[in-house]
Amino acid sequence: MDSTEANQNKASSYLLMINLAEQLKLPFMQIQRQAELIRLTGKQDISSIETSADYALKLIDNYLLGLKLNQDKMALEQEPVSVAAVLYDSGQLLDRLAKKYGVKLELNISGKYEPVMAHKQGLESALVSLGTSLIEAAGVQNTPKCSLQLATHRCRYGIVAGVYSNNPGLTTDLLRQGRKLIGSARQPLVNLTYSAGAGIFVADSILKAMSLSLKASRHHRLYGIGAVMRGNQQLQLV
Amino acid sequence: MSQILLIEPDRLLAETYKKALSTAGHKVSVASGSQEAINLADKISPDLIILEIQLVGHSGIEFLYEFRSYPEWQNIPVIIHTSVPYAELANGWPILSGYLNTMEYRYKPNTTLESLISSVNDLALSA
Repeated sequence: MDSTEANQNKASSYLLMINLAEQLKLPFMQIQRQAELIRLTGKQDISSIETSADYALKLIDNYLLGLKLNQDKMALEQEPVSVAAVLYDSGQLLDRLAKKYGVKLELNISGKYEPVMAHKQGLESALVSLGTSLIEAAGVQNTPKCSLQLATHRCRYGIVAGVYSNNPGLTTDLLRQGRKLIGSARQPLVNLTYSAGAGIFVADSILKAMSLSLKASRHHRLYGIGAVMRGNQQLQLV
Repeated sequence: MSQILLIEPDRLLAETYKKALSTAGHKVSVASGSQEAINLADKISPDLIILEIQLVGHSGIEFLYEFRSYPEWQNIPVIIHTSVPYAELANGWPILSGYLNTMEYRYKPNTTLESLISSVNDLALSA
């Protein structure tokens, strides 16, 4: 890595850290207020506190994984990965948060896809980070039909794994604007979410380390964001 | 008992504030965005509004401009309860407190439920 690239990485890592710090205020405020409510009312339902704490920890963990993978490419041990299995596991990890936000989480992994070469934990962390931000954003819609789909499909560039909703605001422009505003604006994705949207940028950073990137994508009639990976026909034969 | 319109985009926080304010004897309706808030205000005629500035799309300040443009809503007390620090709002505060008639600013991370309820009770009494 030359010094210019190292400086660029340092700068983008600093901006991501600012964005993450802003984002983390949200789950900590939720914990703080929920704990106070328990003290005031004497009602002992701590499940929301657990969910918020879990959300904050996952975000920090995923951010650290992105940092580690970006700094030490040697840590990137790629292996044959089934995209459907990773989406299933990500769905399990996101389920509790989705329920708390009143968002119906669906899994659409029908179809047969060859494995992809990827860092399994990295891919899963990226999808979970992306999912947390989109769950939070979908919760705002405040309608009974509010749902998200974790889905995979084939496109001309390879196999896409992503998170989809009926929000037409999930576009390439939204991502482009967000990437420009990260670290300098409180809401880099103002048309999508009221928060800093750190989950999306953390996913971006993890995927960048894996030489992949987040792209706006369509799945049937839904709009979403996903990672595009190249399938490996040889692995399918093995 | 006051009718409160809480404009809070985060569902978990909104539920917590709603429970706390309801326990204190107020009737609370929640809106997550500015258009929904205008529609709800029209429906419930709130006595007081608690407003987060960071919303999806139109900001809370844009909401306030629209809200205050209706003659019947010009004197309804508004508490700005936001994650945006005062230092970032300071230049705009003369407009918020003057033209837009905002009663109070509260920094959300530092505002306990008890102090929010106390502000609401004070403003509701004086309204």
